[in-house]
Amino acid sequence: MRARMVLALALVVVGCAAPRQDPAVRLEAALVSPTDVALRWRGRDPGAAGHVIEFATEPQGPYTILGFLPPEQTAYTHPDLMPRTTFHYRLRPYYGAASAPVDVTLGDGPYPKPGPGWAEPRVIPGGSPGSRSVGGEGAAPTGLTATVTQADGIAFRWADRARDEEGFLLEDRPAGRPDYRVTAVLAPDVNAFGLVTLPEERHASYRVRAFRYGPPSNVVRRTTGDLPSPTTGED
Amino acid sequence: MRLLTTSALTAGLLLPALPAAADPVESGPWTSYSPTFTVQERGCGDVGDLTFKLTCSTDSGDQRAERRYATYSDGTRQFEGYFKITSLPGSRISLKQTFKTTGPFFMLAVERGGRLYAVHGGDTIATGATIGTTVRVNTVHVVGSVHRTYINGSLKHTVASESGSFYDKFGAYRTASGQGPATVEWSGVRFWRK
Repeated sequence: MRARMVLALALVVVGCAAPRQDPAVRLEAALVSPTDVALRWRGRDPGAAGHVIEFATEPQGPYTILGFLPPEQTAYTHPDLMPRTTFHYRLRPYYGAASAPVDVTLGDGPYPKPGPGWAEPRVIPGGSPGSRSVGGEGAAPTGLTATVTQADGIAFRWADRARDEEGFLLEDRPAGRPDYRVTAVLAPDVNAFGLVTLPEERHASYRVRAFRYGPPSNVVRRTTGDLPSPTTGED
Repeated sequence: MRLLTTSALTAGLLLPALPAAADPVESGPWTSYSPTFTVQERGCGDVGDLTFKLTCSTDSGDQRAERRYATYSDGTRQFEGYFKITSLPGSRISLKQTFKTTGPFFMLAVERGGRLYAVHGGDTIATGATIGTTVRVNTVHVVGSVHRTYINGSLKHTVASESGSFYDKFGAYRTASGQGPATVEWSGVRFWRK
């Protein structure tokens, strides 16, 4: 009996120390120069909306996201790294369907001065709480609206349909670009946010996604060398 | 102030091979320390622990919400911190400064769209400080020699440093051409010296 309890405790401890990994993805890293790491990965969950590639300089983290990547991307180079430092990398999928897009064309105004706090991410009460699980049917945000508040500002609102999201991604696709990109990462339950736009976003399509992260891939580590030696400019 | 290229800079800085330090970055040995700080709230600046807000869109005057750390004048100092911009209706807000007591030295600022730049000289340091994402900053300052800035682990800016007295600041500060509102959350702030 006691042996069983010890074994059970050991299993619990192991379970805590080694978080579940995504067996579908295999991450590899190569030090392609003393201070450049090239990352590649194989395999993907076809249900993932994309991946985040993350790094840390301590085994236990904290991990920092280097980028939100489209699902078809399978490589990433982390350049010009801190010398003589061990880098830890992992890949995580994220899940969740996006809302229907809205197209926005900005004018020159004039627009009435927006109220204070119009751009703050916030939860506007009144809607019914989301009840669907991210990744399941009907969990995508609905009713996305975009109101031009100034010559370079848009106020977004939507209805949260999910109950277990880790946040929302506001994504945009400026006219002429092939793909959407993440323009803001917002906290769970947020259903209103204001974006101040860039010149290239005068005509753009926007959508919002409730998302959750999946389990991380294997962790790979590489230790950088010294900074590159200076060049003298002589042959 | 003279901006140096990375390759030119390393000419006199390559150190003997030492065991890789897991943390902090670059070769050690480093000693962790905790400098004292004061909180500065001016104009519409508001500080709540590690959340720094400029609540107005005023494009003049002193608008700041910052921590000002103790002055140092020798050795090598490393700063590490993580910032997340949660709202930025404004633009051109300084996030991190290595300040010389006689005047500005290095100022890392953000403008709309998440472009990080050096206020003095205007060089783009990095892009991708997207609203809601966490960005890691490491600065290594060899007083009298060089100041290096790493964004998310990558060397993004190098500038020569004179001798003198300096201090670290971070938070949200309206630059001469900037204006709020802005909300910035900092975390994981640590200091080392050697």
